Parts: sequence; structure tokens; C-alpha cells
Amino acid sequence: MLVDFKLLIEDLRRLQTPDEFTLYWDRVQEELSLVASEYSKLKFKYERSNKEKNILSSLLTRTSADLKKVSEHLKIRAEELSTILSTIPAYVYFKDIDLKYILVNQSFAELFGADTDQIHGKRIKEILPGYNNPGYFEQENKVINSGTAVYDIEEEIEFNGRLRWVSTNLAPIRNVEDQIIGLIGISWDITERKHYESELRYSKELAEAGTMAKNEFIASISHEFRTPMNGILGLAEILRTTALDENQMDHLKGIITSAENLLVLVNDLLDFSAIEAGKMELDFHPFMLDRVLEDIFQMLNLKAREKSLDFSVKIADAVPTHLVGDSQRLRQIIINLANNAVKFTDQGKIEIRISLENRSADRALLRFEVIDTGIGIPPEAKDSLFKVFSRIKQNQHKLIAGTGLGLSICKKLTDLLGGEIGVESMLGAGSTFWFILPFELSGIKVFDPFKTETFQELLYTGQKVLVAEDNLINQKIVCFQLRRMGFEVELADNGQSAYEKYTGGSFDVVVLDIQMPLMDGYQVAKAIRIKEQNTFKHIPIIALTANAMKGDRELYLAAGMDGYVSKPFTAETLQQAIQLAVAVASRYSRD
Amino acid sequence: MEVRTFSTNSVKEFRQTWEINTSDGFSANAAVIFSSIELDRNEIIQFLQPMGVRVFGCTSCGEFLYDSEGKTISEGGLVCSMLLLKPGSFNLRLFSGQGLSSFYLGKKAGEWAANEYKDPAVLVVASGLTIDGEQLVHGIQEAAGQDIIMYGGLAGDDAHFKETAVFTEDNSDTNGAVLMVFDKSVYNIQGIATSGWVSIGADKVITHSEGNVVYTIDNEPALDVYKHYLNVNDEDLPEIGVEYPLLIRKKEPDFILRAVLNVDREKKALIFAGTVPNGAVVTFSSSPGFEIVDFTKKKVNEFFESNPATDLLILFSCMARHNALGPTISEEIEEAWMKWKKPLIGFFTYGEIGNNYRNSCDFYNQTFTLVSLKQK
Repeated sequence: MLVDFKLLIEDLRRLQTPDEFTLYWDRVQEELSLVASEYSKLKFKYERSNKEKNILSSLLTRTSADLKKVSEHLKIRAEELSTILSTIPAYVYFKDIDLKYILVNQSFAELFGADTDQIHGKRIKEILPGYNNPGYFEQENKVINSGTAVYDIEEEIEFNGRLRWVSTNLAPIRNVEDQIIGLIGISWDITERKHYESELRYSKELAEAGTMAKNEFIASISHEFRTPMNGILGLAEILRTTALDENQMDHLKGIITSAENLLVLVNDLLDFSAIEAGKMELDFHPFMLDRVLEDIFQMLNLKAREKSLDFSVKIADAVPTHLVGDSQRLRQIIINLANNAVKFTDQGKIEIRISLENRSADRALLRFEVIDTGIGIPPEAKDSLFKVFSRIKQNQHKLIAGTGLGLSICKKLTDLLGGEIGVESMLGAGSTFWFILPFELSGIKVFDPFKTETFQELLYTGQKVLVAEDNLINQKIVCFQLRRMGFEVELADNGQSAYEKYTGGSFDVVVLDIQMPLMDGYQVAKAIRIKEQNTFKHIPIIALTANAMKGDRELYLAAGMDGYVSKPFTAETLQQAIQLAVAVASRYSRD
Repeated sequence: MEVRTFSTNSVKEFRQTWEINTSDGFSANAAVIFSSIELDRNEIIQFLQPMGVRVFGCTSCGEFLYDSEGKTISEGGLVCSMLLLKPGSFNLRLFSGQGLSSFYLGKKAGEWAANEYKDPAVLVVASGLTIDGEQLVHGIQEAAGQDIIMYGGLAGDDAHFKETAVFTEDNSDTNGAVLMVFDKSVYNIQGIATSGWVSIGADKVITHSEGNVVYTIDNEPALDVYKHYLNVNDEDLPEIGVEYPLLIRKKEPDFILRAVLNVDREKKALIFAGTVPNGAVVTFSSSPGFEIVDFTKKKVNEFFESNPATDLLILFSCMARHNALGPTISEEIEEAWMKWKKPLIGFFTYGEIGNNYRNSCDFYNQTFTLVSLKQK
């Protein structure tokens, strides 16, 4: 019996009044209701457990099948990973959060001359006691602390007495809660690559040094050509002033033409090597455009006439005259293109046109066109025209004389000057070479002392010039030219003698060669200027030089000279240089 | 804040009890009513509207009331809490979802709530079969801020899964939401949401879903997967689905439960009580047994420790808990009543809304979501 009814009955017998009985009966009913409630809960739990049992059992069975599948899948993946680790040509390692190795591949173990098991659970210091690269440790900590991967840590490590270069990538390993639990490192042996890099670097340096040497050789040899060229042209000029019959005059013209062509070649080579060596420096200064074009006209008109070609220069009204730019390079580009035009045109005309492309308050963009009625250019040749050593065949067998450098130099110069160059042409009908260059507009008037357009005989009659020149041929040429100008010439064949003559005499102009024995031109000029101190005098000094490189001008000026003329020079250029130097020197003299 | 509570089995009885409660001069200005779908809501509305009583109400899947008068857990009845709230410190409004997405409905309601008070807290009930609870919550948060305090539940229909309703003193709607907004400078509203359900089995991936309809799991038809794993027949669904929700993994340790509310047998799809996104990683889940009640009791005690004073407790308890725990459900409800000894009113829901431990509101299934309302 679950409930002791005997006790219940005994309790009931003790009750005295109906109220006591009611109260007691209420209590019994309350307790019975609690029993009923508990019973219903237990019944529900029992029934529900039976119902749930099937569902949970099914869920567990299916889950177990899932897990089996996952397990098989993981096994396959583990085998794949193992195969990758054992075949990959890299050292692979996994480290835990304490940076102890938990898995390494065979390559890694072999590098240390150990079994993989011997490495597990150890830190790098324990397997490579000599290893101490704070940079690497720092990167490992960075990966663990920040969770970011690190790439290409390069270091040289000694393994078993062998120095090897390795490159390492590090990446964090995370658990399913996304917490960092370690890192994976993959290292590659880059020792061979490092050797190749080193060899490549050496080869590159060698190649660069070779190129440099080549350019210097070309510059030097070109320079050496200029002195004898001066001799040939100067003497030819002297010869032309003598009485020659027609036949001799023809031969002489041939010598002069050939020498001038040779000079163009040398100049081209010198420019090209300077550009290639990155030594071409530009000289921006105020100049008058019409003055430059006038010179070009003078120079080329004669050549054009020789071939019975019309030659003209047309400047649009809007084109400004006072510009700032490198007039020497502008002149060079136009002459080069115009010379080509003359060269490739047998009849018709050559025209140089200048027009304004664009203008702002302080800048102008000018377009220059050299138009000819020559043989024209085949379309297939246009693309390579401005490349080095590109030349146009006049016909199938005949090449026009030239270095093949001219257009290439024009292209490089327009690039350097911030412009562009191109050509339009029709085969058999002629070509138009054009280039566009930017210039600054000059607010100042250009000092232009040479309104003399041609050489003036006996301009300096009664004046005395001291000439220092060690080369006998050049002595003859320069003395001849100066005497034609009317100078009384005092000659010195070395620097020291020149200075002595200067101190012992009275001169109006000094002309100094630069390369001379005992004292060079610079030293003489400096000594003269020292001597002049406190005298308020400043004698015009002109340098004669075979150096035509940019930067030389600064050297002459620094030495106290007032002007220079590059060999080979004509009587006109020497006279112009003297005129300019006299004008400059007059600013210093106060007497 | 004065509170009187009662439960009835008919509207007639409701009217009588209301009148008895006001015969001593007590004049409620608000009422919280959870009623069976079977009772005539319009009659309730017509009775309360002339009195100017603001009503926050919805239909239920069973309702309960624990107070000093007794403990009621019923189905087919009604529970009511008459409230005398400080005028100007609360407001409520019904928002119809007709022609609106759940998100936009929430956004509209959230904008209203945010404009009512500088610092608002919200109670919300919404139609259970037409509103996507998760989208509703996101919409409210979009307008009123991510950190808004908000608790509530989705209306039920005594497990018929046909039609649910929300109502105020003015109107009733089978596709809408009622928001009751409180001025937090006057009322303290705190709550907990706890489930106790646990994950079972291996991870699976939702491979095709649109909103709350899941078509494939691991590229297999969702209905086939569900039946296969639970070894249940067609006729067991959707009822059994409420008790065995999918557990959607979030960033550990967070997860969210989504109960199956219906099935589309033709498309072999499962229809859930909230969004189940494409690509979500899920597992099956189950209540771990009757010890779940002990887990809830523990959470209730913790909540009491941090929040010992209240005027009224409102409980939104998932209908799946009732199914899973049967009569034992009374133990977890009673625990809350016994702790505060203040009236506890609530209903079994089709989904719950509440702030989690990170003070961010979310939409849940299978939870015991308890709210405490206290005038400061």
C-alpha cells in the first residue's frame, strides 16, 4: 500500500467538529492535487521521452553516418596534405602558440639533419643553437599577435656548416573560434637565386661600365678630330685667299666640302654620345628668333643655290621674336632638317615655315616646318625614320651620305626640349618635317652686338692682339685671320711665354688656346686677371678650344675669360667672338 | 504605476471582470491583453474604446497569468493586465503591414518610436505568420538605433498556423505590428532572452534560400533532409518542426534558432519563423531534456539579482517550449513569479524579440523572454 490509510483514518477519528473535518479534507484535496500535478508531469515526461527517443535516435544515427563520411574525407585530405608536404620543394613547419614545432615536413627535418620526431615539441634555438635573428623572431611575434601574414623574410642561415639563403612566408593558424593557435612557415632555398642575382648585378655593372667607356671613347675621339679639322679648314681658307686658277679652286672647294661633311659627322657623333651618356645639357637663355633664322638662311641659301633650289624662310606675324630657350639646339635641329631637305631635293624649293601653335602670357608653343619638293619617304620607312642609323635610299642602290644619326639626334633633342617631331610625306612629291617646341617669352631685349652680317676686313687696324697657340698649323690660321681683321699679332707658343709677353707689353685683345704646355689657357687667364687687380682694366680674353661640350663655357668664364670659339672656326666666327668679348669686357673696364 | 490582472475564458466574463475591477474607482488608462484567436477581439475593442483605455494586444498560442490570485496557463482564454500609467510617459500605435516589407514596416514604426521620446524603450507584438520578425527588428533598429531596448513576441493562433492578429483599442490587423513606447526617464525596462536548446549533429550549409524559405540544404531538397534526419513522416510536419529548429551558427559563441513553421511539399521547401540566409552554416537542434527548466531558473535568478524590483513582468515564451516541456513549463514561469511576487502575464509565441547579453536586439525562436516594467 503506497499511502498509509490507517493513519488517515486515525486522524479523522480525532476530529471533533464538521469545520475541523472540512479544513482537514481541504488539505487532503490540496495534497492530492499536487500528487496529480506531479503525476501529469511524470506521465508527460515518460510519453515525450518515448516520442523523442525515435527522433534523437534518428538524428544520432544520421549524425554518426555524417561523422563517418567527414572522417573518411578528413583521412583523404590528411593523406593529400601529407603527400604535398613530402613532395613540395620547400621547408614547411607548423608551430604552436609558444612557437614550438608541432609538425614539420621531411625536407625541413633533413635540412637540420634530424628526424621529424626529434624536432617536434622543440623551439628553433634547441635545434639550431647558433641561430639568432631578432628580425625573424619579431616577424613571428607579429604573426601571432596581429594575425597578419608576413612574406619574403630573407635570411642567410648556417645549417650543418653550410650557409644557405632562405626566403620564408609566415601565416597564422586559427581554430574554429577564430583564435590564433599557432603559425605555419614555408621556406624556400634561394641560395642559387642569390648567386644569380649577384652575377647579374656584376654583369650589369660590367655592361654599364662598357657602355660608359664606349661613349667616352667616342666623345674623346670626336674631340681629337676637331683640332686637325681646324687645320684643314683654316688652311683651306687661307689658300682660298691666294691666287688660284679655276681648276685649283675646284679642288679646293672639294677639300672644303669634304672637310665640312666630316665636321658634321664628328659633331653628330659627339652629340649622339653625349645624349646616350645622359650628358647633353641644355643652355636656356634669351635670344632673338629672327636672328637665329637669319643665320640659318645665310648658311643654307648658298647650298640651295648650288643645286638651283629656291630657299625661303617664312615667319608668321603672330610668332614672337624675343624668346628664352636653347637657341643653339634649335639652330641644330633646323639645320639638320634643312640640310636633309637640300640633300634629298634635286629640283623645286625648300621652305622653312614658323607658326604659332599656342600662346599664353609667358609661354609660346611654336611649330617649325621644313618643306621640300624632294624624293619623299615611303610609308613603310616613316616609323623607323627617327631611329638610330635609319637612312633613306634615294633609289635601290644609292645611299645618301650621312651618319644616319641626324634625325635620331633631332628626335632626342626635341624630346629633351619638351617638344615633338614628325613627318608628313608623299613618295615622289616631297616631305614636310615638322617639330613643335615650347619657349618662354623674354621680357628683356637680347644683347646683340653682331649686327655685322659678314666678315669685316681691317676692323681692328692699329690694335694689338696677343695670341697663345702651340699648334703650328693653328698658329698660321689664327694669325692669318687676325691680320685680315687689321690686328698687329704677337704670338706665343706656350702659356708661360704668353703671360710673360702680356706682362711685358701692351695689348688690346688676348686669344688663348686652352691646351698648351707649361701653363694652360685657364692658368694664363687667371694670372692675367690677378695682375689686372686694382688697375680698373679688363682686357678681352677669348679662348680657342677643341672642347664643345656644355659646361665648358662655365669653366672659361670662371677662369676670367670673356668669350670662346670652338675649333674649327671660320674668320667670321672668330671675329664675332672677339666683338662679343670686347663688348663684355667693356662693362668691367672703367678707364 | 498601478497594476491589476485577471484571466477569463470569454469576452463576456472579460467585461464583467473589468467592471468589477473598476467598481472601486480604479481607472486604468492602458491594458495588456493576450487572447486566444477564438475570442472576439472586436467586442473587446468596442468595450474598451469608449473608456479611452489604450490597448496593447495580440492573439496567442496559449496564455498565462501568475499573480496573487492564482496561476493560470490556458488555451482558448484571455489574460489581461490593467495599468494606470503616468500620462505622457507612454504611447502605442498599430502599424499595418499591408503592402510593406517587414523591414520597411519596422523602419516606419522605429521612426515613430524614436520621435516620441528622446530615450525610448519599446514593447512590440507582431502578426506571427505574415511578419518576418528578424526584418522587423532590423527595420526598427535602422530607424531608432541599434542599441534601442526592445522586447516582444509574434502573435499565435493556438497552433493552427492559419491567422494571427495584433490589436489596439482602435483596430485589429492580421498583418501588422503594435508598438508600445515608454519614456525611459520614467520607466525602467529590462529583460532576458534564454533558450537552452543545443546543437545536434554535423554542420550543414544552406545552399538555396530566399528570405525565410529554405529550398536546399547541402544541395539536397530541404524537406527531404529534414525528414531524413528526424525520421519523421509527412503528417508530423510542420508541428514537429517547431520543436526541432535549425541552429544557425554565428560568430562563436553566438547562434540563433529558427523553427520550422510550415512546409511547401510541392517545392520540398521549409518555411521558417525568420530569415535563414544563403550560405548559413546550420545544425539541427533539440531541447536537451527537462533540465532545460533548471537552466531557465538559473537565468531568472541571475536576472532577479541584477533587477530585484518590478511592477509587472511580461513573458514571451516560445510555443515550442510548451510543446517540449508540457506541464513542466509551469516550473520556469513559476520561478519568475516566486522571485518577484509581482503579476506575471504572458503568452506562448511564434517568435520572440529581445536584447541579448551584448545589449543588441535580435529575433529568436525557442526562448523564454522575460521583461520587467518598473516605474522609476
